Amino acid sequence: MSESLTTAVTQVLIKGQFVVLVYFLAVNGWYLVLLVSSLLEMRRHMLLIADESRHLLLSSTLSPRISILAPAFNEEATIEVSLRALLALQYPSLEVIVINDGSKDRTVDVLKERFDLVPVKTIYQRRVETKQVRDLYRSASYPSLVVVDKENGGKADALNVGLSFAQGELVCAMDADTLIEPDGLQRMVRPFLYSTDVVATGGTIRVVNGSEVKLGRVVRTRVPTNPLAGMQVVEYLRAFLFGRLGWNRLGGNIIISGAFGLFRRESVLSAGGYLHDTVGEDMELVLRLKRLSYERDGPGTIAFVPDPVAWTEVPESMRVLGRQRDRWHRGLADCLWRHRKMLFNPRYGVTGAFVFPYYVFVELLAPVIEAAGLISLALGLAFHVVDWSFAGLFYLTAYGLGTALTAFTLILEDVSFHRYDSFRDRALLFWWAMLENLGYRQMTVYWRLRGLWKFLRGRKDWGAMERKGFQKPVGIVETN
Amino acid sequence: MVNQNLLDAVMLVEIALLVLAVAVFFTHGLWLFLNHRRVMRLTETARESLARLVTRGTINLEDIELLRQLRQDVQVTVFLETSRNLTGSGKERLRFVAHEVSLIERARKLCESRLWTRRLRGARLLSRMDVGDPIVVKLLSDQNAAVRAQAAEWAATQPSPSIIATMLKMLADPATQARFAVQDALLRMGTIVAEPLAAFLETHTGLPAESGLRVAGAIGSSTFLPAANRLSANEEVGVRIAATNVLGAVGDVSSADRLATLLKDPDEGVRAAAAHGLGRMQHWQSASQLAECLRDSGWQVRREAGLALRALGAPGALFLRRAIKGDDRFASDMAQQVLDLPEAAATAAG
Repeated sequence: MSESLTTAVTQVLIKGQFVVLVYFLAVNGWYLVLLVSSLLEMRRHMLLIADESRHLLLSSTLSPRISILAPAFNEEATIEVSLRALLALQYPSLEVIVINDGSKDRTVDVLKERFDLVPVKTIYQRRVETKQVRDLYRSASYPSLVVVDKENGGKADALNVGLSFAQGELVCAMDADTLIEPDGLQRMVRPFLYSTDVVATGGTIRVVNGSEVKLGRVVRTRVPTNPLAGMQVVEYLRAFLFGRLGWNRLGGNIIISGAFGLFRRESVLSAGGYLHDTVGEDMELVLRLKRLSYERDGPGTIAFVPDPVAWTEVPESMRVLGRQRDRWHRGLADCLWRHRKMLFNPRYGVTGAFVFPYYVFVELLAPVIEAAGLISLALGLAFHVVDWSFAGLFYLTAYGLGTALTAFTLILEDVSFHRYDSFRDRALLFWWAMLENLGYRQMTVYWRLRGLWKFLRGRKDWGAMERKGFQKPVGIVETN
Repeated sequence: MVNQNLLDAVMLVEIALLVLAVAVFFTHGLWLFLNHRRVMRLTETARESLARLVTRGTINLEDIELLRQLRQDVQVTVFLETSRNLTGSGKERLRFVAHEVSLIERARKLCESRLWTRRLRGARLLSRMDVGDPIVVKLLSDQNAAVRAQAAEWAATQPSPSIIATMLKMLADPATQARFAVQDALLRMGTIVAEPLAAFLETHTGLPAESGLRVAGAIGSSTFLPAANRLSANEEVGVRIAATNVLGAVGDVSSADRLATLLKDPDEGVRAAAAHGLGRMQHWQSASQLAECLRDSGWQVRREAGLALRALGAPGALFLRRAIKGDDRFASDMAQQVLDLPEAAATAAG
């Protein structure tokens, strides 16, 4: 009996390993397709923007008006620098709306003091249900600045309030601590000028940790020495430069980073605005816009701009990073579940046939398969089904192609925007790319599995996100 | 069991890929580093030579020769960055030097290339140097939208009657990018396009008319009134809205009757634009019709009507107060909100 059980377990482990290996190779093979697609897309993009003058757009009275929606919750320490940087963005027709989401600190007082705010009244249409707006302010010094003070309701609620007050044809949703490149909006608005079918654009978000920041601007890009931040730099490059850029050519994206995205205001409002009861409100909105475009036969292109347009601070502690990844994966699961009827549904074209299944079988289920592979390998060793040399070889084979692809992503960055120019940065980048498979990746598998488990149990909390800020951290120049 | 040989083979391929990637990554880095140093040195020297040639106004053959022998990318960079800061005679001298070092000739050749990316590059060079070369006119009908858009950008500085006529035809361009560039270029040409555009609008409808009306509204000349009047009765909603906006922006008392009629248009956007226009004209005779619009089913129409009434002064305020006491809850609410607005906010919103 025990012998037959051992044989059965052995068989399961052997077959399991094979399945896992095939899965890894298939996924990485698809990544290879994405990489080639992003190479072609990047080449086309670089040719399009070579010697381009954006002065035309800058000085045109026909440029679409953009309203920046900046939700702020307890941002007393950073709000002034962030806001001054936003007000100095190079765009001809800009409105900045700060939505104070019931902060418990002095965020509103700081804004009142530093930006000469005066209370005003205005007429606005509340097309989406939101928490109560307490006060509305305009700045006596900056005519394009509007501050809305509202009761706490979360980021989605704050963005919905901002949508009601926005006057712009386009709205830019961002996190209060995102640093936008001075010409970031000019780059992001391009797809809207190229096609009336575009409803949203996203750009490449880079990791700011380790870089020098002055007056809310990244003045020198450096690769962080902190291992967690360093490996996230590699992850971000991979996600944006070959993930999203690759999908641009293959049928479209369904993700725009919540840190910085540009949307057609009317499309968002007619879709019902941001949802409150999800932790992945940014992805959910984009997926809903995409889905509605098929159902209503309206515009629905989600464009991705490869230019580095914004910077974000990533967690440097395991605890905070774990919470973030857990939340991201819960968000992903929630969005895919809400829109599950798109899966393999011919009504939803390429999105239903390829993009949505990719997110289900690769992005969502990857940690399950990966964990299964790792566990079966460990069990295989324990039951002496495999020896150590085979296990090592299996492990390296499974992760090897991914590592090679990551290295090619670094090349893609290097031949396009090459923001990391010193030998030290290059060596560090490469070092983190090699190291991420030795522990870090397995940790993200655990966090994502935890997120999936919590989703199944119905948890929808955000968890606190602690940031070092751009003011006085080590390696970041203090603002003047 | 997973075959050991298979694993070995896969592993070998992966190692080869990885080694290749590493080699390319670091070699490219080294090349970038060396190239950057060289380019910086060359650019510095070229900038000095070009500055001497442009500011002194005398021709120094050594400088010309230096610029001629420069690497093409450095040459383009230096000329384009200098071009951005020059106008008038300075730019004229820059064009002369560009011609002498064959940059203009090269740009012309690029414009004739079979590859759209090269044509785009050529058109960009000629645009940014403000070279009035007829070769770019051909690119206004290029098959690639980006090239057409770039040629339209160039055309903004060449407002001849034939170019204006071509540009007006391009208002029907199916590509949004090209249409935007054409509209912008026409606007930059200024009032010189008013008459031809008005004549164009008299004979066109649909997308070209809508695009043209946007330009007309921004130019703001009364020349467009007859066309705007005609197009405000067009069957397409977009055209009617654009025409109503023009009537409101540049119209006089004679347009007020037409705007008042448009308050009954079946489309909400047109009604809102008409109300806005009447408020802008401060046409107090339309106060009662605007007050009617406070009961409109569209929020935007109610808002614009309320703000227009407020802009009319005392007669409008009277109607707003009446609406507050009226039986229509929506009209009452909007009237109250408009009357609550401080003066500056009402002016800004209107």
